[in-house]
Amino acid sequence: MTQQIVLAICSFALALLGTLLLSALSLVVARSGSCARAFRYETEARALTLLKEWLSPKQRACYERFRYFDVVGSDTGTRYRIHHGTQTNIEELGITGHQVCKWCFVPDGDLVAGDVMLAQKIALETNERGALSVAHRSFVSSGPRRF
Amino acid sequence: MASQIVMDRTGDTRHTFDIHDRAEVEKAERRFRELTGAGFTAAVRSGPGEQRVIRAFDPTAEETLFYPRLVGG
Repeated sequence: MTQQIVLAICSFALALLGTLLLSALSLVVARSGSCARAFRYETEARALTLLKEWLSPKQRACYERFRYFDVVGSDTGTRYRIHHGTQTNIEELGITGHQVCKWCFVPDGDLVAGDVMLAQKIALETNERGALSVAHRSFVSSGPRRF
Repeated sequence: MASQIVMDRTGDTRHTFDIHDRAEVEKAERRFRELTGAGFTAAVRSGPGEQRVIRAFDPTAEETLFYPRLVGG
């Protein structure tokens, strides 16, 4: 009888301890997730500030309104539309403004959208051929854009 | 003060240096060589929304931006 009582108390204590440990672990995970989100948000905000500093007034106004801006290729004079994003976010535009194709090139490393778009702008405006020589070209329309 | 802005996972890292301080300028020049040697492109602003790529260290540039090598996405 005494043994059963001791066993019951031990089981209860272990269950309680387990619950406490799980709660503590959940709290740590939630906090680290929250920190990661805050860090990502801060990083993206800093990159967007830098991007806007380097855009022309016209490009900046366009980006702030539509989340894209246009650049003119340094070698061919072709117009490209850089959408907010980090993948396949560049449209080549024809003379009437229609989409000819999409291009995808990015700076190496896990950079956020603001940095990626700034590198794409500089590359197209200063070394269009060099940028497109490493880029992937796509003719497939993916419907409405969701970056 | 001049600054070198290096794009990275934190958004960017900024290194400022006094263009009148020889030691700081030399350090900035070393950083320029290391980054461009590692495949980074260096660009300076030449007007509102305009920029030019530089291949050699420019100690008079107020702001130099470095972005990593481009790859197909």
